[in-house]
Amino acid sequence: MNKAWHWGWIAPPVLLVALVAGASIGETAIPAQTVLSVLANKLFGTAIPVDRIDAGIIWNYRLSRALIAACCGAGLALSGVVLQALLRNALADPYLLGISAGASTGAVAVTVAGLGGGLVSLSAGAFVGACAAFVLVVALAQAAGGGTGARAAGVIILAGIAGSQLFNALTAFVIAKSANAEQARGIMFWLLGNLSGVRWPDAWLAVPAAVLALTVCVLHIRALDAFTFGSDSAASLGIAVRRCQAVLIGVTALVTAVMVSLVGSIGFVGLVIPHAMRFLVGVRHGRLIPASALAGAVFLIASDIISRIVIPGQVLPIGVITALIGAPAFALILVRGRSGR
Amino acid sequence: MKIAAEGVGWQVGGTTIVDGVTFDVSPGEMFGLVGPNGSGKSTLLKMLAGIRPPSAGRIALADAPLETLSRRRIAQTVAFVEQFADTVDRITVRDAVELGRTPWLSALAPWSARDEAAVSDALASVDMTRFAARSWHTLSGGERQRVHIARALAQHPAILVLDEPTNHLDIHHQLSILTLIRRLRVTTIVALHDLNQAMNCDRVGIMDQGRLVAVGTPHEVLTADRIEATFAIRTTICIDPSDGTRLLRFHNAT
Repeated sequence: MNKAWHWGWIAPPVLLVALVAGASIGETAIPAQTVLSVLANKLFGTAIPVDRIDAGIIWNYRLSRALIAACCGAGLALSGVVLQALLRNALADPYLLGISAGASTGAVAVTVAGLGGGLVSLSAGAFVGACAAFVLVVALAQAAGGGTGARAAGVIILAGIAGSQLFNALTAFVIAKSANAEQARGIMFWLLGNLSGVRWPDAWLAVPAAVLALTVCVLHIRALDAFTFGSDSAASLGIAVRRCQAVLIGVTALVTAVMVSLVGSIGFVGLVIPHAMRFLVGVRHGRLIPASALAGAVFLIASDIISRIVIPGQVLPIGVITALIGAPAFALILVRGRSGR
Repeated sequence: MKIAAEGVGWQVGGTTIVDGVTFDVSPGEMFGLVGPNGSGKSTLLKMLAGIRPPSAGRIALADAPLETLSRRRIAQTVAFVEQFADTVDRITVRDAVELGRTPWLSALAPWSARDEAAVSDALASVDMTRFAARSWHTLSGGERQRVHIARALAQHPAILVLDEPTNHLDIHHQLSILTLIRRLRVTTIVALHDLNQAMNCDRVGIMDQGRLVAVGTPHEVLTADRIEATFAIRTTICIDPSDGTRLLRFHNAT
């Protein structure tokens, strides 16, 4: 119950090692010592002599990228934990509520259909699309009556499916109508997740979003536990169910929308990291929340490293890697979890 | 603690599930609620536990209207045991009972030895201590029901609301749970489908098609005529020669 504080000690060093690895490993390998020197120079104003090109690669390119990967991984994993807990559905993931479908529509509206006349960035378009889709899904769920307990969760899931289908169809429509082959390929890559374009300004969105998700989740640890036997049971344990659902779903949707608009819809993390962590640390959110945030962050940094080095001279979409490593790893955990019971 | 309902009703989609229910339960009293399936017992209990706001009328805890109390405050006073509550999460029995401490915990009141003791006591009172480390999914229906009751007891409620708590239990545990509930010094409202079990309550209310059609001591309300009107069965009242207790025996009304 009260083991959450342990994570305060474990998480920072693990995360630092992962970030240094993310900055060190790549097509040109740079020793970890150099990475640490650059970090010290930038953060603490030291003047350790470092090759300027190496310093540039590390600071401007790889560190920002690793940091954003960590934020996305943590944010998506936390969103998955929250939605699976609140909707009592093992298949719930951050994109369930139409966010990635809406983001893709927003992205193609800007890049392919030329909405905004070149003044709106792909990320901004994706963010607006994601929010629009989420608002539509919530409105649809509200209009469908909601109800209480399992029925309410079912209504939200169905509204999410309807919204996702609608926006996916809109995306396909725009691509089919106006995109050339090159644009279509670019969009496909973006949809599978792409960290290549991210720089420091993106981190100033990703870091606060991830911190927000973590803070809100930590504040709701007991509330999330109270949903173990459904929302009526949570209510009888003193949880203000409606307010709690609105805050948690709203925040995770916002965080997911930010992440998707920065790096595309990276799959698998939000669905599977929470399940994997339930097998490893149990279902109580006091442990599950920090474990999922850390595992999501490390997993996405690792996936990004692999996506950059697995084919020399080419960067694979990170979504391909997350599924390629994640699926067998999850299968292993499932099998071992079963035998350990 | 006293709980009172006044003209309480619940409607969904134009269908009236509970209609104008008025009654109160005194501190320490055990109040039984009986009625055919679909007579509105579960919905009424959920409203009394503050989970569902009534669409008509009002409910008061110790003269404080329920709607003026926070969810947390209500949960510190009223504990509710649902008829069916299951989970796919891989929790242990102790985890499930620990949830009962939720309304008492906050950032300023973190988990303490007091909570630990409340959980252990609750497990002991339903005879589940040796199951504490067991996984929820290995339990039988009756064992799960006992864990739910332990969870409610760990909540340290002044009012306990139970929806057919003896449903999945074998006869030994039916009797021990009802004896346990009777011995607790709390106000209890319990929906029962076994009318002979209802005979042991201090007072009984009969629900029929959403209305509370009779309230009184078991001897007053569980009469052959009333049972026939509500449940469409004939009843013979027998006397147990060992202790003079009245028992109900049922026959088809044909």
